[in-house]
Amino acid sequence: MPGLSRPAAGQAKKPAEPLTLKVGDAAPDFTLLAFDGKDLKKVSLSEFRGKKNVALAFYVFAFTGG
Amino acid sequence: MKAFQQNLEKLEKADTQVLGVSMDSPFSNFAFAQQNGVTFPLLGDWGGKVTREYGLLKKFDIEGVPMESARRATFLIDKSGKIIEEQVDSEAVDPSKTVAECERQKMKS
Repeated sequence: MPGLSRPAAGQAKKPAEPLTLKVGDAAPDFTLLAFDGKDLKKVSLSEFRGKKNVALAFYVFAFTGG
Repeated sequence: MKAFQQNLEKLEKADTQVLGVSMDSPFSNFAFAQQNGVTFPLLGDWGGKVTREYGLLKKFDIEGVPMESARRATFLIDKSGKIIEEQVDSEAVDPSKTVAECERQKMKS
């Protein structure tokens, strides 16, 4: 295959960009779907308001480690 | 997400719900959760709307094919809906800071 001289994996080394959302900001509400093996269920950030903290962990892709 | 699963009991004891989010479909994420023994919800941000709102949409290419994904990041959101801690990229893999902060919050309340 031609043209495979690209350096490893997409992201070049550059300093980490700061996040746009800062500590102290209101977390934007959302509603997303989760599958439990049977049904798709809605999960909203706001359903935890006043009840629980939420650790919201974004990850790159399923099945890619981490 | 395995590291969060390993700390899940501590986080739950400190009144914290863990939610994973990626730009996979909910179905892929369910299979991923099963494969890794993850019991907290892994949400599917199909199309990346929420990822974009959180400022985490990352564009890159693999072999010249354009791709989009989320950047790795953890936000700890308190009961009032405010961000009280955040970590990004490689520092977001280990949740121990998040666990410590949740436990601190629990002590305060």
